[in-house]
Amino acid sequence: MSAAADIPRTQRAAMSFGMSTVLLGLCLAAACVAPFVLNGYGLYVLTLTGVFALVALGLNLLTGYAGQISLCHAAFFGVGAYATAILTQKVGLPYLLSILAGALLTAAVGAIVAVPAMRLKSLYLAIATLGFGVVLQKIIFEWRGLTNGGGGLALNPPAIAGHELGETGLYYLTLALMTLGIWGAWNLSRSRTGRALLMIKESEIAAGALVIPAARYKVIAFAISAFYAAVAGGLFAYLVRYIHPENFSVGLSIAFLSMVVIGGLGTIGGSIVGAGFYVIVPELLRGIKDAPGLVFGLLLVIVMVLMPQGLWGVVRYLRRRA
Amino acid sequence: MARLSIENLSVDFGGIHALRDVSFALESGAIVGLIGPNGAGKSTLLNCVSGITRPTQGRVRLDDAVLSALAPASVANQGIGRVFQHPELVADLSVRENLLIACHRSLRYGLISELLRLPKVWTAERDAAQRVDGMLDRLGLLESAEFAIRGLPYGHRKLVDLGRALLMDIRFLLLDEPIAGLNDLEVAKLHDLLLRLRQDLGLGILVVEHNMPFVSRLCDRLVVLDLGELIANGRPDDVLRDPRVMASYLGEDA
Repeated sequence: MSAAADIPRTQRAAMSFGMSTVLLGLCLAAACVAPFVLNGYGLYVLTLTGVFALVALGLNLLTGYAGQISLCHAAFFGVGAYATAILTQKVGLPYLLSILAGALLTAAVGAIVAVPAMRLKSLYLAIATLGFGVVLQKIIFEWRGLTNGGGGLALNPPAIAGHELGETGLYYLTLALMTLGIWGAWNLSRSRTGRALLMIKESEIAAGALVIPAARYKVIAFAISAFYAAVAGGLFAYLVRYIHPENFSVGLSIAFLSMVVIGGLGTIGGSIVGAGFYVIVPELLRGIKDAPGLVFGLLLVIVMVLMPQGLWGVVRYLRRRA
Repeated sequence: MARLSIENLSVDFGGIHALRDVSFALESGAIVGLIGPNGAGKSTLLNCVSGITRPTQGRVRLDDAVLSALAPASVANQGIGRVFQHPELVADLSVRENLLIACHRSLRYGLISELLRLPKVWTAERDAAQRVDGMLDRLGLLESAEFAIRGLPYGHRKLVDLGRALLMDIRFLLLDEPIAGLNDLEVAKLHDLLLRLRQDLGLGILVVEHNMPFVSRLCDRLVVLDLGELIANGRPDDVLRDPRVMASYLGEDA
């Protein structure tokens, strides 16, 4: 059998490793020097991009890889933000430990949300998660003793090992956690769990025939995804220093989903690019008088029409041609 | 020597009898063709064996173990491989990566090790890739290991799908229309491959297929279903001469 002889040499799945590494190094170097170039507001926007990119990374594992739509990621983000804030401010735990504990707690919440996902698909699942998002947001609102309800929580600057973390410090912390997040997602994507999630998206029945239990992997995907969102929430709380239940509404969940789709479903780079597009482009459009929202909305339409694979699809295409 | 038994299997879908009291058995090393007109219940039977459809009555056994109460993943875990009519592959992944999906069960590292890419993940992945390359070699697909499924012709996709089932150390293989969409050369290759798999691995193979020349050459035995009932079970020559089979399935001119 020499079946391979008649296969057309069309696409290579593996991409040139060296070039990717160089590009990645350049991006990282640029990110490291950014605080020396940007003013305070620019740094805030860039930190926010990193925070949202973390959420998008986790959501992309769930939606892009496992094919499960979630409209409650703003709520996971909020639970992470509140848990970190409360653990740091009221319990007195160190900031980093609070982020970790808050993320583990949110991962457990994510696993619970996954229970209906075992039975529901596509839009039905989206609506169920929407309900969960509303419920979680309401819980934050009503649990006044802990969260101060509609009054919101004002936060002191965070500290690590006694050193107060300024805006630059928080930026570097975000950059470090985002880099870790990318690394973890990349590791998952090229091993057992990543392949299992892709198979479940393709067909749950066929996944079963390959001894991949779909139900268990949906729970795992929701938990990991919620973990990412919660870590981002813990950073967000101390970036804005005042959190309110209204920050974590369904609108933000839709924004997260948009970032993932604009960037490119099932791609790690797409999560970062999508978050960047969503945060930075509206800032660049501020100069346009009266109409930044309109232009941004139209840009979203154009991106989706011209780039069905998302922005990362274009990057891939250019790299293949290079 | 293992034995897969279908015992008094009945399946009702809201008053429609998809299968009625069907019994037959498949031993290791046997190749059995399951034939019958559209709607005869062939796919329902395969789905019952794979745990996708629950039988209304009767059961499926592998030696002494009852399979018909198990979930699909557990049935597969017992060594029953299933290849679907249309290959269910991840189009963006390479041929090798698609075969690696089938190594899921044998890769035993935990989630934390995986997130951190600990050395044991690295070695386990390398060993799995070696197993996969062995299978690619067997299927004649080694040269296309790095190609994305998206660019592969249909016949090769079906081979990749078959390769995945074979990577799971199965004892029995259920094939649903394996030659649909293949050209003559690919059909001949598949015929030889299945015979070799039987010889090398002692696989028991159950094939659902419409192409009569292919099944009658390949199979030791044919089982014929019509409207959910088993109407014949025997050597291909005998079965094809059976008046009931000729009347119900093959028509006047057969």
